[in-house]
Amino acid sequence: MKILSLSAAAWFAALAVAAATPAHAADAVKIGVLFPLTGNAAAAGQASKAALEVALDIVNNAHPELGNLPLAASVGLPNLGGAKLDVTFVDHQGNPSTAQQLATRLVAEDKVNALMGAYQSSCTFTATPVAERYGIPFMVGDSSALNITSRGLKYVFRATPIATDYARTYMRFFADMKRTGKTVGSIAIVNENTDYGTSVGDAIEAEAKKASMPVAIRIPYSASSTDVTAQVLQLKQKNPDVVIFISYTADSILYMKTMKNLDYKPPMIIGDDTGFSDPSFIPAVNDISQGVMNRSAWAIGKAGSTTDKINDMYKARTGRDLDDTSARNMQGFFVLAEAINRAGSTDPDKIRDALVATDLKPNQLMMGYQGVKFDDTGQNILASTYLIQLHGTQYELVWPDDAATGALRWPMGGSTQ
Amino acid sequence: MVAVQVIVGGLLLGAIYALFSSGLTLIWGMMNFINFAHGEFVMLGMYVALLVVVWLGGGPPLFGLAAAFSLFVLGVAIYLSLIRYVIRGPMLAQILSTFGLALFLRYSAFFIFSANFVSLPQTSLAGTIRIGGIFLPVAQLVAGVVAIVLTMALHVLLTHTGVGSKLLAVAEDRAAAMLMGIRPDRMQMLAWGLSAGAAGIAGALMATAYPWSPSVGETFGLIAFVVVALGGFGSVLGSLYAGLIIGLIQAISAFWLGAIYKDIVVYGLFVALLWLRPQGLMGKA
Amino acid sequence: MAAAAGPDGQSVKPQRLTLTLLAAALLLYPLVLTNPFYLDIGVTFLLAAISASAWNIVGGYAGQVSVGHSMFFGLGAYTPLLFYTLWGWPPVAAVPAAVVLSVALALAIGLPTFRLTGHYFSMATIAVAELIRIFTGTWNLVGAAIGLQGPARARGWWDLTFRSELPYYYLFLGVLALVLATTALVERRRFGFYLRAIKASERAAASLGVPVRHTKMRALVLSATFTSIAGSLYVIKTGFIDPDSAFGILVSVQMVIIAALGGAGTLYGPLIGALILVPLQTATNSLFGGGGSGLTYILYGGIIVLIARFEPGGLYELWHRVAPYLRRRAHAA
Repeated sequence: MKILSLSAAAWFAALAVAAATPAHAADAVKIGVLFPLTGNAAAAGQASKAALEVALDIVNNAHPELGNLPLAASVGLPNLGGAKLDVTFVDHQGNPSTAQQLATRLVAEDKVNALMGAYQSSCTFTATPVAERYGIPFMVGDSSALNITSRGLKYVFRATPIATDYARTYMRFFADMKRTGKTVGSIAIVNENTDYGTSVGDAIEAEAKKASMPVAIRIPYSASSTDVTAQVLQLKQKNPDVVIFISYTADSILYMKTMKNLDYKPPMIIGDDTGFSDPSFIPAVNDISQGVMNRSAWAIGKAGSTTDKINDMYKARTGRDLDDTSARNMQGFFVLAEAINRAGSTDPDKIRDALVATDLKPNQLMMGYQGVKFDDTGQNILASTYLIQLHGTQYELVWPDDAATGALRWPMGGSTQ
Repeated sequence: MVAVQVIVGGLLLGAIYALFSSGLTLIWGMMNFINFAHGEFVMLGMYVALLVVVWLGGGPPLFGLAAAFSLFVLGVAIYLSLIRYVIRGPMLAQILSTFGLALFLRYSAFFIFSANFVSLPQTSLAGTIRIGGIFLPVAQLVAGVVAIVLTMALHVLLTHTGVGSKLLAVAEDRAAAMLMGIRPDRMQMLAWGLSAGAAGIAGALMATAYPWSPSVGETFGLIAFVVVALGGFGSVLGSLYAGLIIGLIQAISAFWLGAIYKDIVVYGLFVALLWLRPQGLMGKA
Repeated sequence: MAAAAGPDGQSVKPQRLTLTLLAAALLLYPLVLTNPFYLDIGVTFLLAAISASAWNIVGGYAGQVSVGHSMFFGLGAYTPLLFYTLWGWPPVAAVPAAVVLSVALALAIGLPTFRLTGHYFSMATIAVAELIRIFTGTWNLVGAAIGLQGPARARGWWDLTFRSELPYYYLFLGVLALVLATTALVERRRFGFYLRAIKASERAAASLGVPVRHTKMRALVLSATFTSIAGSLYVIKTGFIDPDSAFGILVSVQMVIIAALGGAGTLYGPLIGALILVPLQTATNSLFGGGGSGLTYILYGGIIVLIARFEPGGLYELWHRVAPYLRRRAHAA
């Protein structure tokens, strides 16, 4: 059957295309980045890609105006003779098997010196063992599943806070509020039911139990719901003091609108990033969501500050402000670059050792972490987050007090209509 | 009070389910053929509405008509270019044809419109009415009522007009219809147009009240199957009752069992129906 | 070699030589193309071929178009990781258990569903797979939406977590050979003739004395067994499973399109389909991936429609229609 030989010929042609990689500068340091650039999470993936491109520009070119951000002032990596960073982006489409295959390609074909990624926890789960097997360091920019770093893998590092960090932050915030006389008798958790919503929801429920905070109701729902009337009615019935939403964009907007339609306003709403931080959230519902709180480890800060300048660079590229998720990926990239520079070599084991020894101070970061220091599972133990609140058309930093730039309003205002 | 709110919300959404399922049941009744891309027709109707609002600044009547008309044309085109060839072929071809079409339409929409959820900018149907203790968002109320009216209109078209009798005749007995001078090919083409048009306008109605993305076609397609299975393959009136019932069941399950169980209940009902009473409430077996 | 009838009724025997070459190529592929990336593509190809060939038994030969076969794949994938998570079993040890569960599911589904015909049956399979997917996403024991993972690093060779993918390649190749051999055996025995009769016309077959229900059940059970094994192989290689990668509709669709493209109901159809689609998918991702276009599934949809409209017998059928014409032209020249 000649058809088989024809197929075989087609096969080899396709393989050649598949393996085609763009030319690289001779002595550049290569980093492979896995993101979902198409599919459901494409918007987040594209935003993070843009953020990394800005970071690449900052490292590779001289930006003395960015203060003591490591590697900003110099061109390239000083300890490697000014060698530049070279990033290859691949699109795993949100498919864990594709992520595994692309990680293999990046390591075997493109011969990268380090990997970053992958947004969806399912894809990070399958890509990280590839890195481990080949002994290539993997920096997790932003995946929420807890056990990505606790599987005994030595080459996996995560600079961002994880669900337990957020949950503890919320509990500390509630304790603070109670001390100033506000009523926080019970909370409700409303989470979309994929791995993101479920893991954060689980973490909050666990921390609430430790802090003896009653959970009035836990509502898992599908992010692609058309109608959430029943869920809002359930909330109305239980009447908690705080409702915590762990939602994507469309569902966050849908909840706000439905709550307005059904005339339901709890004393406080906290949105766990993601949907509430999406660029389309504020324009869509800001008139009915005044006082909504959110968490962010990223704040644009005062005019003229380093973070403000970074935001301007990002805005020039995309037309939008930098969002928390992309900022966290960007920070992860900086941590990786700093470690490579400290290692003074592209040898993966030396890079890994440098990562283990990382000790960045808060003023060397663009994020509001208390620093970057990895424990022996590879998790940054100094990661933390701010709480922000919607005042007008902007989120303002309202907690903790020592970093706050705006006044916390409790109960939230709700609607201006 | 809360119970009434849940029930009313469920019925309003169910009315829209009824409208877009009526087209599917028509095709099934006439041709013993299931259109796996039916949900995508609804989804496309929603995007047509969006485009009309964004490009032409039109209001609900305009984008409703635009959705109905453009999807009617699409339905006819699909029948002429694809369906009438596969209908006489092997089962695999029949199923693959609309399945492949569904994939093609869905991912083309992802490509063109991106995966982000969208909603119509505020139209003339904004706001909420309050009757007793019940909140009725205007958009949902209007959408639901119009959906019921249109479904009834389709039913009347089929049972009380000349064209309708011809369509039903072909559904009942193709050969006999031919002997009576009716051209089955023409009627089937018309049925496809009506089916897609109904789905399209249902989509436009939904767009006024609910957000969507290209992924909703898959869910609506399955819901349409459930409604048609419950209401009886071939009966538009049946899909009206069934749509309302399914909307109601969904809302009640969401409230009393939890949001994630509402889909399980609906699909479970579907599977049970297929096994126990495939002809549904009002259909022929 | 199994004899297959061409469209004109004459016997068309695949050349022994071609098949030997094919076998040699498959055996030597990873030794020639040693790059791990190409090897991964090869492993992916084998897995796709196994799944599609498994589907082929009930979907291609018997004509029962299931679009929910992911239910067996997913069960075959979840069981090993569940046993690993709960009791520390090496995933491969749970494969027989997975097969038992899949067969049980096949019997549970098949019994009521085979009463339905054509479109009803397909709808039912979609609904059941979707039901299982949603349910799994809410069930904490199996990891709910987060999913389950396998051993991140090998505790011993039995965990089958290899640094290189070479052992996977030959393991999968062996399983593919098994599936194809079973299908070939089925093709030439009475069971195979019953299947083809049922596909052509159930009523006619029944009136000729074919035990229709019993035969369909056997085909489904056989198909479910191999599909389950394919799922287990997937999870042994990938080390991770969640409701979408296990029971998602795209998993089912891929099996169908690969078999249909190559030629559903033929022995080598699924293999040909996989040979074309797997590299195609990887190539389109590489070409457009980093730029973010996502054309793969648009392409899939278009291909399926074209197959359905013009050549339901797939490339196999197309080739056999075109080949005699080409041969005649060659002779005339």
